[in-house]
Amino acid sequence: MNLPNYYFVDLPPEATLSPVLLTEACQTLKRNRERYLAGRSTEQIVNVLSDVAEAWRKPDNPFRRLALELGPTETGFSMATLKRGLDDFFRQITRDHLHALLTQELGDSRRLDAMTATDVEQKSSRAATVTGPEFLIHIAAGNIPDPTFMGIVLGLLTRSAQFVKCASGSAFLPRLFAHSLYEADPKLGACLELAQWRGGNTDLENILFAEADCVTATGSDETLAALRSRLPACARFLGYGHRVSFGFVAREVLSHAGGPRIASRVTDDVVAWNQLGCLSPHVIYVQPGGEVSPERFAELLADELERREQTEPRGELPSPHAAAITSRRGIYEVRAAHSPETLMWHSKESTAWTVIFEADPRFQTSCLNRFIYVKPAKDLTELLQNAEVVRGKVSTVGLAAPEPQAVELALPLARWGVTRVCPLGQMQNPPLTWRHDGRPALGDLVTWTDLEKGF
Amino acid sequence: MAICLPPGLFAICWWPAVAENQPTTKNRVNKELSNFAARLLPLLRDTARQARPAQDGEFNQLALELFALQFKHNAAYQKICAARDRTPGTIEHWTQIPAVPVAAFKELELTCLAPSERTAVFHSSGTTEQKPSRHFHSAESLAVYETSLWSWFAQNVLPDLRFTIYDLRSENQSAIGSRQSAIFLTPPPSRAPHSSLVHMFEIARQKMGGASIPASRTEFLGRIASDGSWTLDFDAVLAALEDDLKLKTQNSKLILGTAFSFVHLLDYLAERNLRFQLPPGSRVMETGGYKNRSRSMPKVELHALITERLGVPIENVVCEYGMSELSSQAYDVSLGGAGCLQPAEERRGGDTAPYLRRHFHFPPWARVRIISPENGREVADGETGLIRVYDLANVFSVMAVQTEDLGIRREDGFELIGRARMAELRGCSLMSA
Repeated sequence: MNLPNYYFVDLPPEATLSPVLLTEACQTLKRNRERYLAGRSTEQIVNVLSDVAEAWRKPDNPFRRLALELGPTETGFSMATLKRGLDDFFRQITRDHLHALLTQELGDSRRLDAMTATDVEQKSSRAATVTGPEFLIHIAAGNIPDPTFMGIVLGLLTRSAQFVKCASGSAFLPRLFAHSLYEADPKLGACLELAQWRGGNTDLENILFAEADCVTATGSDETLAALRSRLPACARFLGYGHRVSFGFVAREVLSHAGGPRIASRVTDDVVAWNQLGCLSPHVIYVQPGGEVSPERFAELLADELERREQTEPRGELPSPHAAAITSRRGIYEVRAAHSPETLMWHSKESTAWTVIFEADPRFQTSCLNRFIYVKPAKDLTELLQNAEVVRGKVSTVGLAAPEPQAVELALPLARWGVTRVCPLGQMQNPPLTWRHDGRPALGDLVTWTDLEKGF
Repeated sequence: MAICLPPGLFAICWWPAVAENQPTTKNRVNKELSNFAARLLPLLRDTARQARPAQDGEFNQLALELFALQFKHNAAYQKICAARDRTPGTIEHWTQIPAVPVAAFKELELTCLAPSERTAVFHSSGTTEQKPSRHFHSAESLAVYETSLWSWFAQNVLPDLRFTIYDLRSENQSAIGSRQSAIFLTPPPSRAPHSSLVHMFEIARQKMGGASIPASRTEFLGRIASDGSWTLDFDAVLAALEDDLKLKTQNSKLILGTAFSFVHLLDYLAERNLRFQLPPGSRVMETGGYKNRSRSMPKVELHALITERLGVPIENVVCEYGMSELSSQAYDVSLGGAGCLQPAEERRGGDTAPYLRRHFHFPPWARVRIISPENGREVADGETGLIRVYDLANVFSVMAVQTEDLGIRREDGFELIGRARMAELRGCSLMSA
């Protein structure tokens, strides 16, 4: 891949990052921010972002082409999976959506530019503005690019110098995105840095943390707790723990015609980023009593996953991940041989996809990479009782139900602790205005200054 | 790699539910399996039979015969075979015998023994498991296990040297330390009756001459902590290691234990800045993973620390690979044997440090196949896959066992990588254990 050396991730693999180099990089980033970014208007940033996103969706865009050509080797996702995932993300980054996000989180899309006031604020003679962190650090985990892309987008909106620390071996897509920004606006691209190293390199991380105003991180609860303890007290920490998601299909929509349609939507959610995202479902709960039984729904889902494998193949897996699937299939094969309460369907001579039907309604975390459980649940109450084990860790619930019923289900789900309810088929494709883990994504980054008039 | 999928789906849903398999008649003495075991015993004493193709015919014949018996007498296994459409009449080669995932030992009674015949049960290790594996044994099946383990242990750990078991409470203290002795870093059999490893150590101890001495009075220096985990009687271990220093003798020692018990010991020695130089000929046998019982470390590092703290050179450290679901074990080097050090010309990058070609080998009465986790076929030499073992010594349970461990196929054996489910996924979703 012939990209210019703008970022640490562009250096050859044998180049090691020294503490001195890193310290200098932090100073340069802050300086560049002061010169090139702090004074920009929101409108200018929104224009750059929406233009870059639009470019990414054009087939001849060089960054997109690199992502699709080299991505399968670099990330393990098939070209079709990458294409769908990238298109879904960049489709969201439009002027309208960015303005909607700013308005939702800050009350006024010019909050980052000036002292502004909403109607309510005007009535009470108040105004306010927000300021983003001077130096924002993202500790990115894993190969799914969306959270890292989104972090960079938000950091640009807040005019922050940004340092993205990728997990080792997972910088490929963030690197392409950073280069596309640099190409569109070099000065803006110079306020960004990307590096990768194995987490736990305290020499380097301590330098970064000492400079940070705000750190965002994705990881296990243990990783997040460890990171938090190493940050200076004045730095803001936004930790996003690992989450699980599941689906629920109401009997009313399980007609002979509706069953396959919903199975197709569930398949969208299972194949998106190979189910590795925290918005991807582990289990689909199906209400018995419809024209299509839960067992039959599982079979329809298997049919659809098999079809989808032809057009959107899962791609190759490293041995340990394939072994996790094979070992788990082994257990269910044994159970299925002994009881009709367990059924299994899977791709032949590959680990590409697996559907397990279990009459046992207890929530089961999946080994992912397109391994999905279907379980019966007679109603929401029974479902939530059986999902108690993951309570507090659930991000999204995908629903297939008539609209009034779906809206009715949303409130008890919210009270139980679910932070997002959406139609099945959209689980891994949240809108830009999505509140990540129930927190305002942009709002959490900024600091408010209130102005009370009447001098 | 292109993934080719034949049309159609594969579903398993044929068999009615049964809670557990029940032998057809109670108190039955299974003559057919007993006869098979009796015929097998002499073979288990003959480690010289290498797994050459010439012996494959014999192995194949025995394996098919045992498969037919287990299919007949092990109801749980029969259902699994039938679900895969593999029955004694439909296969011709041992490689076609259906392997049972180790996890099935947790859920089913995978045994040919009637409840009244079961005199012992070995459980999988691990302190956190709610539902351990269960491998049932009778006096007959233990005899097979013991013959199998001792033959291959003696061949690989003691080929040139005998160690002695002595009585710690012997009146004749001067005799202690004047002999080569063995130290076991596990609890004694009375405290760990369901550990197949401790049973193995106990049999080795008895065979090494300790049969007349109660286990409690020999050097089983492991203890059970209040939470049920295994720890060490560090004072006793230090005393045993210091024997030679005190008595100014040069009698070699054999130290046997799990990887995590060695980590406990090495950490203890490091904290006190203690180092031993055990007499020449001393050797170490370590086995198993860590299962969160200690910090885990790569084998190379563990072996280097053993050399540093105990003075046992790496070529005198042998790893064992075994599990409660099997009756035979694999060793990765043969101690004392010639040629276990990798020739210099095979070493990588001009590395001059002693480097062991650590390839595990099962005894001739067991076979291993490394299976692609992706497509279920045997991998090519040098490739990684799941370890599947066909162990004739598993007479009364299931011969073909599919492990969850990854290994690299080597022409003459396999390299161990470890537990597959430890794999870290690359996303932000909560991973299941």
